[in-house]
Amino acid sequence: MARSEGLPVPGAPLARPATEIDEVDLVPVRTYWQLVRRRFLQHRMAAIALVLMVVLIVSSIAFPLIGGDAWFKTSLTHGPKDPSSLTAPLGYDNLGINIFFRLMRGLQTSLTIGFFAVLIIAGLGTTIGSIAGYVGGWVDNVLMRVVDIVLSLPTFFLVLMFVAFMGSGNVFVIIFAIGLTGWTTAARLVRAEFLRLRESDFVQAAKALGASDRRIVIRHMIPSALAPVVVASTLGIADSVVTEAALSFLGFGLRPPEASLGNMLTNAQDYFYRQPLWIWYPGITLILLVLAASFLGDGLRDALDPRQRIEA
Amino acid sequence: MATYIVRRLIQAIPIVIGISVISFLIVHLTPGSPIDKFRTPRVSPETINNLIRLYGLDESIPVQFGKWFSKFWTFPFDNTAWGYSFTDGLPVRDKIFARIPSTLWLTGVSLLVTVIVAIPIGVLQAVRQYSWSDKIITTFSTIGYAMPTFWLGLMLKQTFSVQLNLFPLFGQNSFGKTGDLLDLLWHLTLPVTTLAVIQVAGWSRYMRASMLEVLRQDYIRTARSKGLADSRVIFKHALRNAMIPIVTLLGLTVPALLSGAAITETVFSWPGLGFLGVQAVTERDYPVVLATVMIGGVMVILGNLLADVAYAVVDPRITY
Repeated sequence: MARSEGLPVPGAPLARPATEIDEVDLVPVRTYWQLVRRRFLQHRMAAIALVLMVVLIVSSIAFPLIGGDAWFKTSLTHGPKDPSSLTAPLGYDNLGINIFFRLMRGLQTSLTIGFFAVLIIAGLGTTIGSIAGYVGGWVDNVLMRVVDIVLSLPTFFLVLMFVAFMGSGNVFVIIFAIGLTGWTTAARLVRAEFLRLRESDFVQAAKALGASDRRIVIRHMIPSALAPVVVASTLGIADSVVTEAALSFLGFGLRPPEASLGNMLTNAQDYFYRQPLWIWYPGITLILLVLAASFLGDGLRDALDPRQRIEA
Repeated sequence: MATYIVRRLIQAIPIVIGISVISFLIVHLTPGSPIDKFRTPRVSPETINNLIRLYGLDESIPVQFGKWFSKFWTFPFDNTAWGYSFTDGLPVRDKIFARIPSTLWLTGVSLLVTVIVAIPIGVLQAVRQYSWSDKIITTFSTIGYAMPTFWLGLMLKQTFSVQLNLFPLFGQNSFGKTGDLLDLLWHLTLPVTTLAVIQVAGWSRYMRASMLEVLRQDYIRTARSKGLADSRVIFKHALRNAMIPIVTLLGLTVPALLSGAAITETVFSWPGLGFLGVQAVTERDYPVVLATVMIGGVMVILGNLLADVAYAVVDPRITY
């Protein structure tokens, strides 16, 4: 059973004692990214999740384009009793709006909010985590206490407060609120990576060569510390999307005519008796999105971890 | 141990101050004010000014914060310590204390159900790793984990209340049946199921992982090679050690449930703390909002401490 290690990633500890090094020469050398791709595709659920995610993203872009204004256009000639057709596979809602196109528009909203919220989370988390990890000392201490405070706050309630008081229904406020409360995990992960990397040979070498702090952090350390951020961000998409849906459901998110998976659920709640299926459409979409994001995150975690071995 | 607890409590002080500053600032620096609803042409500017003074909104933010924060901690002795609700003028403390039994019922019962269901499931999965039952349960728990609480709540309501007419749609008691235990449990079923399904999904995963970890240990192999019965090895030797991480989970879950059941409580109009908080946010009832956030924050800190202390109690290898 030959194992290939590929090129060691900067900073990663040797997974095996150096005496076994001749064994490595027997198998073709692979680059880090080739290994990552290989490991990711071996994770069957992650590969399926990737396909699902691509399908969801493509349909959230394509169908609103195809449907034009169908997602909010009411109609007096169509209604819930219309049989499903090719142009309206899920039928029409109480206002005669094409449910399928509205769902796709809602998916688009959710994905957009999830994407930008995660962008804030990753940005803030990386910045704060790297400052804390690189500078250390009292700066690290203060920043980590801030992390403790944010972690102790009841997150969903804080988001709710922020959105309700700053202006419900505003997409930017929602993205901002989710981002501002969600960065702590990413910050902790980056800090931990930085503490490890700070002592590693390649950082010491860069320092010895007289590289500036900025150069060391941005060119050398952040790229090496990015793997956990990517994983946390992918998992964060799921959280952000659910938070947005919950906000909309409670009446603080996007309001009709804007479409979101959450406000479609709220609407469906009024038609419990007559249209029991309406509640399924946004719910299933939401679950598929969450499942895709979390399996993707799991797969990425396994694939990006350079300490993981792979059967050659 | 005592010194450890004291040290942790002292460390918690700056965190509590931080929590109160952040929540106070969010409440007071955001646009809009609770007296906006009185600003109609029929209300004279004089009355408005009186209202501003009555609510203490005329003072500077630091002064308001100082007054609120120092008074907040007198709550065991003073029922006006958390101020008066802007919506009905009742003391906030009384309003919140009145909600605690409902929240405890919901949290307690769902936690009990979670523990009773999740631990055997996790053990079964670990003992029969990669079997069909393991795979099926894993699939279900993954889906359960991905389900948003409010959606699950709505689905349960639609199926069991609307279509099958088995359980009530919302509330804690039927009309005129306050204090009737059976009626309470009947109303509890759906909200507890909602919370429990999602908790079980997470807990059984932990239990499975923890049990697998323990089953790999040498002392389990020793017990097996001594010829002990499987059931004895699993329940007597392995389970006790596999439960250690679960104790930590308990300390982390309780505070999350107490304030985090807000969505479930709202879906089922369950008159608990979370529902009160959501209503207060809607009505901009600042004193109630602040008190709810503070309680939530303090719960998380205490829960973390409790988890660490419990960890040392059940695991003799850990000392502080």
